Amino acid sequence: MPRPAARLASAAAALAVAGAVFAERPNAVAQWWSPGEGRTLPATATFANEHGRTGILNTSGAIDTRGQPFFEPIGTNGRACVTCHQPADAMSLSVDSARARWDASSGKDPLFAAVDGANCPHLPQAERASHSLLLDRGLFRVFLPWPPRARDGSVIEPEFTLEVVRDPTGCNTHPVYGLKSAVPTVSVYRRPRPVANLKYVTAAEFGVGPFNLKDAQPAPRDPATGKLVNQNLMADAREPTLTTQAISAALTHLEMRKAPTASVLERIVGFESQIYAAQSVDAAAGDLAESGGPQALGPAALAAGRTSVLGNNTTAYVFPIGDVWRSLPRNGDAAHDAQAAARESIARGHDVFFFRTFWIKDAMHINTVGLGNPIKRTCSTCHGMHMTGMDTANGWMDIGTTNLPWATEKPLSPWAKEAPEMPLFKVTCDKAPAPHPFLGRVIYTQDPGRALVTGRCNDVGTIVLQQFRGLSARAPYFSNGSARTLRELVDFYDRRFNIQYSDTEKQDLVNFLSTL
Amino acid sequence: MSQVRVSAVIVCLTLACAASAVEPPANHRNFISCPIVRDTPTVPCWLAEYGGELYYLGIQTDVSAEFHPPLLGHKVLVEGTVKDGPRICGGVVLEPLKVSPLAELDGTCNTILPAEEQYTVPFAPRPPGPSGGRLAFDAAPGAPRAAPPPLTGPQEFVLYYDFDMRIGGRHSNILSRIYDYASAQRKPKLDIACHRGSTLLSNGALITERADLGIERAHELVKLLRGAELVADTHVEDTPTLTPANGNADWQQRRCVVRVEP
Repeated sequence: MPRPAARLASAAAALAVAGAVFAERPNAVAQWWSPGEGRTLPATATFANEHGRTGILNTSGAIDTRGQPFFEPIGTNGRACVTCHQPADAMSLSVDSARARWDASSGKDPLFAAVDGANCPHLPQAERASHSLLLDRGLFRVFLPWPPRARDGSVIEPEFTLEVVRDPTGCNTHPVYGLKSAVPTVSVYRRPRPVANLKYVTAAEFGVGPFNLKDAQPAPRDPATGKLVNQNLMADAREPTLTTQAISAALTHLEMRKAPTASVLERIVGFESQIYAAQSVDAAAGDLAESGGPQALGPAALAAGRTSVLGNNTTAYVFPIGDVWRSLPRNGDAAHDAQAAARESIARGHDVFFFRTFWIKDAMHINTVGLGNPIKRTCSTCHGMHMTGMDTANGWMDIGTTNLPWATEKPLSPWAKEAPEMPLFKVTCDKAPAPHPFLGRVIYTQDPGRALVTGRCNDVGTIVLQQFRGLSARAPYFSNGSARTLRELVDFYDRRFNIQYSDTEKQDLVNFLSTL
Repeated sequence: MSQVRVSAVIVCLTLACAASAVEPPANHRNFISCPIVRDTPTVPCWLAEYGGELYYLGIQTDVSAEFHPPLLGHKVLVEGTVKDGPRICGGVVLEPLKVSPLAELDGTCNTILPAEEQYTVPFAPRPPGPSGGRLAFDAAPGAPRAAPPPLTGPQEFVLYYDFDMRIGGRHSNILSRIYDYASAQRKPKLDIACHRGSTLLSNGALITERADLGIERAHELVKLLRGAELVADTHVEDTPTLTPANGNADWQQRRCVVRVEP
């Protein structure tokens, strides 16, 4: 058996040269991976998307997925982990894939299971409208007890009351599934996160201590080892480890009747820990992982990269791409020159991400951590983790993706043809020792985020930062799927922080993000 | 003297304060006003105005700094001493200085002044974006870093608080130090004494933190340490004293003292 380093180099080389190409053009039906198919997942594979191709690297080499529990329908509803973590979608799920699956299966694919693949289980499941949040925004229902429970099952007394203001899905006011049911439950709607590059997501060697840096609350520990964890898993960091996340996901998303066995969990976590995903080919810029090219691009770079490194500096960089694409020669050949222009745009986009300053204002758990409000910084201040752009530790913040007044929603007007899609909650922080520093004592939100786990007023609407890798394969963006494209994502930031990007800066930034 | 009795003597329970018989020190500036941000070609600086004068509070750096800038959207309690020397960013320098953002929101605190050529901060240890490889006040690479002497025997850890506030992110380091030291002991005993404070403002008014805040701070510490799974025999002093304010470093009253006995 080759040594791991040699195996990695070999895999990287294969990926750079060709790998297994699953489709030359975007074809969400052909690329779909159904539970229990028993296909082989090669050591390297690429999958087409609108920006080029996403690469998947399995550092343990090709695997026969037959019997591998990540790929098997181990629950009662026919789903497997792979259902919502598709290789073609950088181990997440794009809304395009969900739509294609609806069309191909007439809505009968286990993906659309009533438990969370519908807006609410009580809705008529055969109707498309009952799955509109999944089909239009890529959202799954996440249902959590209210008031929150600690890991030992004890009730956490929240600092705020929660009222339903608007309930387009009917779930939060439903007598069986809602806040006033016999088992009071909150339903919020979130995107699935990529199951790849997880050594970065779970690394806990930087900024992790017994008390987290954001609000000095006790940091959770791995129940198996007693070690501190970094609280970067999931949108609300409610699960401390990949193992506990797998148990939770099996019991909810897969509707298993009891938790998976230790050996099943070990195989799931083992697989998840060896998968790397990133864009590997850009339609305009070509091979992103070519020899001598930008260091950070492609999945092999992720497999080789260092974890727990703060990249918001000119020593490590968040995404080290060097200068190789900063100024490229032209030779009059149209294809060559177009590629050179695309590569230069990517390099400029990196600099927009890394160096372009703006005022970051009224962002909970950023402006409150000792930096002041506002701070004059850059994207990489918050998105500082080397190679992923996550926060290095306990990365939940509120930039307004779910809290009003910034959260995106369909406008109400006599002339509007579309109705609001997301639930709206009124949070009243009457039991908190101090008002929320930017939103006061009454907050309107589509998703209270981390506060549904902690019960803390200052956590309302805070969401754990996502990794930036494989973005081209898994639109839409933000935890609530409110940005359909990378351009809409950039526009949100531009609007939220009054950055005043030029059109060129926006396009460069989109081009850069699409190569990650 | 119990906290409750002291509160009765001082009378002033809220920010609407009674005048004090004590004269505030002449070179001290203790006041409440809106913080002001002034942009510069590099990092912004923080100012506050009082009595027709502009005071310099500090600059934006990063989380390694002693000075944590205040928050627009909130008034700030400034407790500082006038320092002789040139102005910075147009403001009279206060040093030493303690700034406490007040809890309630105030939308009138929203001033960001544009950069002007005459205001620069050439001493800024890091630019407004990515650093050169280390935090602003960390030791330079390769510089000798003095290891703290190993702690033995009874130890006291002091946590200082912003006015009328409880625990915040800046306390995570000292909490970790308490945790590390206590959890290294075989049968640690913790004595926790927390105080609320009052501040004598430069206009002669006295402001006092809300009643029961001392005991709230103590119980919050107990909850946090237990939440971190620290096993210790913990005792909370329930009648902490309140030292009369005199306008000189009054912020040091707002504190918890955690004494760890092995």
